[in-house]
Amino acid sequence: MDFRFDIVTDYMPFFLRGMGITIGVSLAGVLMGLILGLIIALGKMSSNKWIRLPFNIYINIFRGTPLLVQLLIIHFGIVPMFMSPSNPLVSLVIGLSLNSAAYIAEIFRAGIQSIDKGQMEAARSLGMTRVQAMKLVILPQAVKRVIPPLGNEFIVLLKESSLGSVVAAPELMYWGQAAAGEYIRVWEPYIAVAFIYLILTLSLTYLMNYVERRLSTDDQR
Amino acid sequence: MINVKNLKKSFGDNEVLKDISVDVAPQEVVVVIGPSGSGKSTLIRCINMLESINGGHVMIDGRDLTDKKTNINEVRTDVGMVFQHFNLFPHKTILENITLAPINVRGMKKAEAEEKASVLLAKVGLAEKASAYPESLSGGQKQRVAIARALAMEPKIMLFDEPTSALDPEMVGEVLEVMKQLARDGMTMIVVTHEMGFAREVGDRVIFMDNGYIVEQNEPKSLFDAPQHERTKAFLSKVL
Repeated sequence: MDFRFDIVTDYMPFFLRGMGITIGVSLAGVLMGLILGLIIALGKMSSNKWIRLPFNIYINIFRGTPLLVQLLIIHFGIVPMFMSPSNPLVSLVIGLSLNSAAYIAEIFRAGIQSIDKGQMEAARSLGMTRVQAMKLVILPQAVKRVIPPLGNEFIVLLKESSLGSVVAAPELMYWGQAAAGEYIRVWEPYIAVAFIYLILTLSLTYLMNYVERRLSTDDQR
Repeated sequence: MINVKNLKKSFGDNEVLKDISVDVAPQEVVVVIGPSGSGKSTLIRCINMLESINGGHVMIDGRDLTDKKTNINEVRTDVGMVFQHFNLFPHKTILENITLAPINVRGMKKAEAEEKASVLLAKVGLAEKASAYPESLSGGQKQRVAIARALAMEPKIMLFDEPTSALDPEMVGEVLEVMKQLARDGMTMIVVTHEMGFAREVGDRVIFMDNGYIVEQNEPKSLFDAPQHERTKAFLSKVL
């Protein structure tokens, strides 16, 4: 088998641009997923079952259906209701955010509920409101426990951003397919793309390990 | 100061408190004793609304906790609570543990709160631990910090939920000493404990609870030396 490096070098500018977009949409997805996820997690922990219900439904729908299906519905169904023509990057970011929010919510919920019940009681007994107790006592402790599973989720999200190629969002995988189509070659474009994804996920793993270490030495526990 | 009227509390089908009525006067030290499962911890947790109340009333300083209009958070700032397992905030230093609520709930200036915390830490004999984290403290030290943390809110009432039960025996004394000092200073206290010596020495009144009822209450000397009820006698014969 001959490996034509010239295909890889020819397409490198596009791969790099795609990588930039992959990083961009992943960051945006993570950021919005974190914010939405926290809201959903807190909603799902409400003591009122009618408040819990919609958050439960949300999590079940977004965890229970494939991201690919969600992405197609969002891109061809929902986004066109607000903008015309539909924008693949917007659709991809929305899809990744909404999907990861469901997983992140469950990560947050597990993290928050893993904090000893006595912490909330102590905070409340001092006159703190539920919100103050969450903000000052529970969440700062929960953050450390959710870092490892969150890192996992970020890696999944980064890889799943490759589904953007099906709605022609010009991220990394899109350019891989473009190269494969142009040269009618399989190995060079896909190996190059896989290699770039690997670099990204390994960097992310390294980064998350660093954050985890920093947080565990920041204070004594 | 504390008026509990016909208090009822159940966990599912299990009725833990059956019609409890008790009044506590200002500066009074009430010690609650009884076998495990008698409802004594639940009683003081209800006084702080850490447990919801199924029936009856709990009044703190004339404010009815069961009244929906009562601001529970505000009432709680007047009621300090010390837990069996300390429940210090592990991510905060000792000083921050104590200043957290005064700053965020009372709106106290940081410098003022820290100064006050230092005074309280000195009072419980832990001035040099201000910048340490709870993890590095012994059980007795943790509990003394927990007492200082509760006192920082300047409560009118202090509730102690088995404060020495999780401690190694040699650390019980240092915590009881702080509590005795507090009683001498005129704090209104309800103490759930198995420390009969403390009950006898510090208590103005001892309440014996069993099976969700107050079986008997009296001044310590009378209750310990001449219990009236069979159940009290049986319990005391086992623990004294």
